[in-house]
Amino acid sequence: MDPAIDAAASGEARRARSRRRLATLGLASAPVGYLALFFLIPVLMVAAYSVGMLTLLPQDDYLSLQPWRDLLFGSIYLDVFWRSVWMALVVSVVSVVLAYPVAYFLALVAGLRKYTLLLVIIAPFLTSYLLRVLALRVILQEDGVVNSFLRTVGILGPDEAVGWLFNSRFAVYLVLAYVWVPFVALPIFVSLESLDHALLEASNDLGASRWRTFWTITFPLSLPGVIAAFIFVFIPTIGEYVTPLLVGGPGNFMFGNAIQGAFLQGLDWQFGSAMSMFLVFAVVVLIVLFGRYLNVRTVTE
Amino acid sequence: MNAAVSTGGRRGLWLFFGLLVVFLYAPIVILIVFSFNDRSFVSFPWEGFTLRWYRQFLQNSSLLSALRTSAFVAVVTAGATVALAIPAAIVLVRRRFFAKGLVSGLLLAPLVIPLVVFGISLLILFNTLGIPLSPLTIVVGHVVIALPFAVLTLVPRLERIPVWLEEASRDLGANAVTTFRWITLPLLAPAVVSSFLISFVISFDEIVIASFIAGDEPTFPLYLFSQLRLPRQLPQVIAVAVVVMIVSAVVVIASEVGRRMADRRLERQIAAVERVGVE
Repeated sequence: MDPAIDAAASGEARRARSRRRLATLGLASAPVGYLALFFLIPVLMVAAYSVGMLTLLPQDDYLSLQPWRDLLFGSIYLDVFWRSVWMALVVSVVSVVLAYPVAYFLALVAGLRKYTLLLVIIAPFLTSYLLRVLALRVILQEDGVVNSFLRTVGILGPDEAVGWLFNSRFAVYLVLAYVWVPFVALPIFVSLESLDHALLEASNDLGASRWRTFWTITFPLSLPGVIAAFIFVFIPTIGEYVTPLLVGGPGNFMFGNAIQGAFLQGLDWQFGSAMSMFLVFAVVVLIVLFGRYLNVRTVTE
Repeated sequence: MNAAVSTGGRRGLWLFFGLLVVFLYAPIVILIVFSFNDRSFVSFPWEGFTLRWYRQFLQNSSLLSALRTSAFVAVVTAGATVALAIPAAIVLVRRRFFAKGLVSGLLLAPLVIPLVVFGISLLILFNTLGIPLSPLTIVVGHVVIALPFAVLTLVPRLERIPVWLEEASRDLGANAVTTFRWITLPLLAPAVVSSFLISFVISFDEIVIASFIAGDEPTFPLYLFSQLRLPRQLPQVIAVAVVVMIVSAVVVIASEVGRRMADRRLERQIAAVERVGVE
């Protein structure tokens, strides 16, 4: 081959490659730039604010670790954090325990109707979160549907109400589990659906009971879905603030309420920033530990 | 013999499924029923059917203006989100480059940031820059949290569109923009519509971020939240909640069903083209 033509062709290819690289950069720059500007930088500013590298209010201290000291050494807010961790744990466990049999049913028992039935379970999740919390509040509150019903039929006296139903830990658990169950069913369903049925039949042929087949084969193979579901509930729940505010009452406020309070009521933005970064660190630790299970695709498809 | 479940187990699971459906839908049904109760409190006893609460909310100007604010925020959010999500999805699916893991991590990171933290981050940002809070500042925040959902809606569809369709277009002399406009975009359209609607619904419902950076024009969720303390307003708030809930459910389910149908059609078309190619 004529070397001149060869060189021209490879030059052409090089130019095409560099054009393509430029185009990739151009395409990526808009979404990446947007997130850098309005997501990364703001979160870094909170980190800066928490140590006084950035101050906005007159009462803020310039360059001070005091908020962190206040938070980490003997503040009640650390207790609130651990309470939130515990509550998030309970909510995640309850959601998974409720969703698992349904996902199992849909993936392995329901047959051809499974996608339709799955949509029936997921549909509530696609409607408004706030309005579903509101619906439960209307049902649970002191003059709500349940209490007024019990009064009408005479089980409760005219001014009585079931104490644990509203402004209680129970109410927070109930509402959050209610909100999350449809969402949790999804990744578990996906992991169970991709299960190879031949494995179950082989186990059966070799004489294992269904119960044993479930615990030695089905459940371990569905664990990635379970862990993904667990983390996807756990993370937003620690920072939850709408549900405790609407149905939990001050005694059951969570870490999100503490952060919100520091900003909108206490006007202690530095302390609020320290709490926020503490929460971000907690989330990062969880992601590092469990990130490999978080196949986000399973959640959207 | 079914290795997954016994006959008794099958019945038990059907029952459990039924009970969970009741658990999930009962509160919504109760809310709908009581929105027609002719009583100033959302509670028993039943005092007859009325449309009074629906009529009242149609005349409640502050409620209607909150709905308008939310609709504006959600439309602008959805448009901007889709405009950012399309190039992001193309880069993730069609290109290979060294920082790809980092870019996809960044695009998905808003899924796991606690919304309270993100809300105060924007509050600090806008305060530092001296930008006054308004519906547009809410849009800025909502685009960030809607973006991963929009990208994750577009990516699977883009993966199903064969690269050779785009290559054929380039071989026939079309440039990248023409190819995108006439080949990729029409095939991607169902997912674009879905991601627009999903972004719209996310924004319309969002309260945590909005509560920090709303300024003095409340969105619908913020208005609703502020009315919860006033029992007298509750019945009409419930009525409008019912309308919003049903509309958003219909929109999302329709888009989901539409997307599934469009995916199946695409697969049939590709299979047909490939058959012709082989012959």
